[in-house]
Amino acid sequence: MSRIVIGQYYPADSLLHRLDPRVKLLSVIAYVTVLLFVTDFLGLGLAAVFLAFVIALSRVPVKLLFRGLRAVFFILLFAMLLNLFLTPGEAVLFSFGFLQLTTEGIARAGLMASRLVLLVTGSAVLTLTTSPIKLTDGIESLLAPTRLPAHDIAIMMTIALRMIPTLSEEADKIIKAQKARGADFETGGLVKRVKNFLPILVPLFVSSFKRADELSTAMEARCYQGGKNRTKMQPLRLTKKDIFAGCIMVIFCAILLFLRFY
Amino acid sequence: MCGIIAVMMIKIEGLYYAYNTVNENIPITAALSDVSFFVEKGAFVAIVGHNGSGKSTLARHINALLLPSQGEVWVNGNSTGDASKLWEVRKTAGMIFQNPDNQIVATLVEEDVAFGPENVGTPSHKIRKQVDGALAAVHMQAYAKAAPHHLSGGQKQRVAIAGVLAMRPEIIIADESTAMLDPQGRREVMQVLRRLNDEGVTVVLITHFMEEAAQAQRIIVMNKGHVAMDGAPQQVFAQGDVLEKLGLAMPRVAAFAQKLRARGVPVGQDVLTAGALLADAALQKAAAAVGRVSKEGNVLSGRIPGAPSSQPAPVVLALRDVSHVYNAGAAYEKCAIRNINLQFRVGEMTAIIGHTGSGKSTLVQHMNALLKPTSGSVLFKGEDIHGDKKRLRALRRRIGLVFQYPEHQLFAQTVYEDVAYGPTRMGLSAEEIQKNARAALAMVGLGEEVYEKSPFALSGGQKRRVAIAGVLAMQPEVLILDEPTAGLDPQGRGEILAQIQSLHRAHNITVLLISHSMDDAAALCNRIIVMNQGEIAAAGTPAEIFAQISMLEEIGLDVPQVARIMAQLAETNENIPTGIYTEEHALEVLT
Repeated sequence: MSRIVIGQYYPADSLLHRLDPRVKLLSVIAYVTVLLFVTDFLGLGLAAVFLAFVIALSRVPVKLLFRGLRAVFFILLFAMLLNLFLTPGEAVLFSFGFLQLTTEGIARAGLMASRLVLLVTGSAVLTLTTSPIKLTDGIESLLAPTRLPAHDIAIMMTIALRMIPTLSEEADKIIKAQKARGADFETGGLVKRVKNFLPILVPLFVSSFKRADELSTAMEARCYQGGKNRTKMQPLRLTKKDIFAGCIMVIFCAILLFLRFY
Repeated sequence: MCGIIAVMMIKIEGLYYAYNTVNENIPITAALSDVSFFVEKGAFVAIVGHNGSGKSTLARHINALLLPSQGEVWVNGNSTGDASKLWEVRKTAGMIFQNPDNQIVATLVEEDVAFGPENVGTPSHKIRKQVDGALAAVHMQAYAKAAPHHLSGGQKQRVAIAGVLAMRPEIIIADESTAMLDPQGRREVMQVLRRLNDEGVTVVLITHFMEEAAQAQRIIVMNKGHVAMDGAPQQVFAQGDVLEKLGLAMPRVAAFAQKLRARGVPVGQDVLTAGALLADAALQKAAAAVGRVSKEGNVLSGRIPGAPSSQPAPVVLALRDVSHVYNAGAAYEKCAIRNINLQFRVGEMTAIIGHTGSGKSTLVQHMNALLKPTSGSVLFKGEDIHGDKKRLRALRRRIGLVFQYPEHQLFAQTVYEDVAYGPTRMGLSAEEIQKNARAALAMVGLGEEVYEKSPFALSGGQKRRVAIAGVLAMQPEVLILDEPTAGLDPQGRGEILAQIQSLHRAHNITVLLISHSMDDAAALCNRIIVMNQGEIAAAGTPAEIFAQISMLEEIGLDVPQVARIMAQLAETNENIPTGIYTEEHALEVLT
C-alpha cells in the first residue's frame, strides 16, 4: 500500500517551521499583494533576495521548491510567450505577421516570469513549512473575527484531511474487486467509460455516507457541539519571534512599496 | 437515596424504544421493549445477542445518543432525558464504536485524543495532561504524533479508547469494537479494557465473540429487544441449548467441556477457558488414563477429512519464486512477499493464515493477476498468467476472488443485476448469464424473492452472500475468499462456512480460504499455509501445523483451543499423541 502524503509539508525543525501559522499566512498574503505592485527589476530583485534568505532559513531542500514550479510550468511559458510577442513597442527586433518581438516585450516577459516564479515559490514556502493541522488552526483563528463560520470550515478541512487516505485505500480495493469481476476502465468512449465507473462510484458514495453517519455519531458521543465554548490543547500563541518576523515583513513591504511609488 | 445511586452506575427502568420509520406502511417495531436492569460501579458487563437483537440500540441509550420512547435511563444518578445533564452523561459514559476508521476525527493521534476535552471547554494545560495520561493508559505514547491511517486496527481502537479516557469517564461502552480486528488487535483491546476495569472503570462490552464475553463478570443476552438472560458467564453458558435457540454459541472450551461431561468425564460445570479446563482434576485423570489405545490415536491423527486419494489431482495453480515489492525504488519500498513457492491441486481446500500485514492479501492478489510479481511467475494450468494480456479477463473468470467485506462492492439497483455483472462483463450469452446468476444465488441460499430487491436493503449476512454469489456467477474453477466471516455474528459465520463447505463438496471447486481464525481453518481445510512477514512460515496438514503450537503463538496467531488443550496434555502424558485439533478426535482419545 502506498503511503499517501497530503499537501507538501516538509517536516523539519527550523525557525520558519516554528513560526505561528497566522504570521506566515498573513506574510504570504502581504508578499503576494506587494509583488503585484512591483513593476521593475530592482523591486523584483529585492524580493528575490528576501525570498532566498527566507528559504535558507526554512531548511527546505531547494529541489522541493522547484517541484512546485513544475506544476505551473505551462502557465509560465504561455504568459511569457504572450508577453514576448504581443507587447507593442518601438524597438522592433523581429516581426512575423501580428507577432513582433520588441525590447519592451522582452522586458515585460522577463518581469512577468520572475514575478510568477516568486509568487509560486513564496507560497510554496508556506505549505512546505506549515503542517496541514497548523494551517487549519491558522485559518480558523484568522477567520474567527469575521462573520464566516470559522470553526466549521476548520473542522471540515480537518475531516477531509483525515478521510482522504482512508477513502483512497478503499477506492483502490473496490477497483481491484470489480476488476476481479471483469470490470474494464480503459476502453470505450466517454459515456461508456463513465458508465464503467459506476461500479466504483456507487460503492464509494454508499460507504462515504455510512462513514459520515458513523463519524458524526462518534463526534456527538464525544460531546461535540460545534465551536461553542471549545478550547484547544495547543492554542496559537504569538511569541517574540513571531512579532519580530511580522515586523521584518512590514518593513520589507514598506521598502518595496516606497521604491514603487516614490 | 444518594447512597444507593452512587453504587448504581447505570440504571435502566422499563426502557422501550422504537425507531421512527419514514415509511408509514412499515409497522413500527420496538427495537427495545421492557428492558430493566442496573449495573454497579466497577462492573464488567458483556452484552451479547445476534444481529438485530437490540444490543447496539441499548448501548446508545447509556450515553444519551438515543433517548427512551418510554421508561428512563440513569447514568451515575443523572437521567439521560434531562437535557441540562446531557454533556455530563456523555462525559461519564464514553463510547467506542465498531469501525476504527470512522471514529477518529483528527489527523494526529494526540489531537484526536484531545478532541473530547476540547469540546467540553477544558482549559488547555489540563487537556495536555489528560491526553498524555490517556495515551499512557493504552500504551500509545510512542504514537502521539503519528497519523491515524498509519496505525493498525488494534492501535486505532486503542486511540479511540484514549479519546474516551481523556474525558475521565466512569463508564466505557465498547460497541462491537473488536469485530473488525484481527486476533492480535482483539487481544490488545481486551487487555486494555480489562486493565481499566481493574482500575475501577465500569465496562460495558458488546460483542459477538463468546470468548470475550466469558471474560466479563456478567453477561446480558439480548433477543428481539428483550433481556433474554442475565447472569454470571458460568450460569449463562451452562444453558447451551437456550443460547443456540437465540442464535448464539457457547465458547469453544465450554462446548468441549460439555461434550466431555456427556461422554462421562466429569469436568466442572463452570469451565470456560482452556486454563480452567486444564486445571480440572477430572480432565487430568482422564488424560492419565489414556493407555496404549493411543497408538491407534496416532493413526487417527493422520486421518484428514477429505484427504487426497492415492492419485494426486492435477495442479491447477502454481506460484514459482514469487516476490512482490511495493513502491520499488522509492525510499519507502517494502517487500510484501518473498520467494513464495506454492501449488494448489484441483479440489483442494487450503487455508492461508497469518495476521494483518503478513502478506496474505498481497499473495492472493497475485493469483488472479491483480498484482504482477516483481519477480517469479504464477502459473494457471501450467501457463504463465501474464503471458497474454488479452486473456486476463478470461483468467479472472476462472479464478474468482472474494475480497474482505465483499458487500462493500455492491452497486447495482437489484440483487440480480449485481450478481449478473460479472458474467455480463465476461461476455457470456444472455441465457448463460441468467443461468449462472440464478445458479450462483441458489448456491448461497438466496431465493427468487430477493432478486428484485435492492442489495442495500438486505441484512449484513445476506449482503455478503449476494457479493459472494457475484463471484460464483462467473463459475470459477478456483475460489479465493479473503476473511469471508469477518464482522458477522456467530450464526452468520456458521452459515457462510457451511455454504463454502457444501460448494466445495458439490462442485469440486478448489478453495483458498484466507483467515485469521485457526478454528475455521481447522474445521474446513485439509491443508494450512501459515504466512509471516511475507514468507511461508509453515505449510502442511492441520495435524502437522497444530503440532507446532509454540511457533504459531510466537507469530501471534490464535491456536484452536482444543489443539492447545491437547498439546498441553500431550506434554505431561506420553500416551496422548501430538497434533490433535478436532473435538471429535480429542473426545475419542480422552474417553
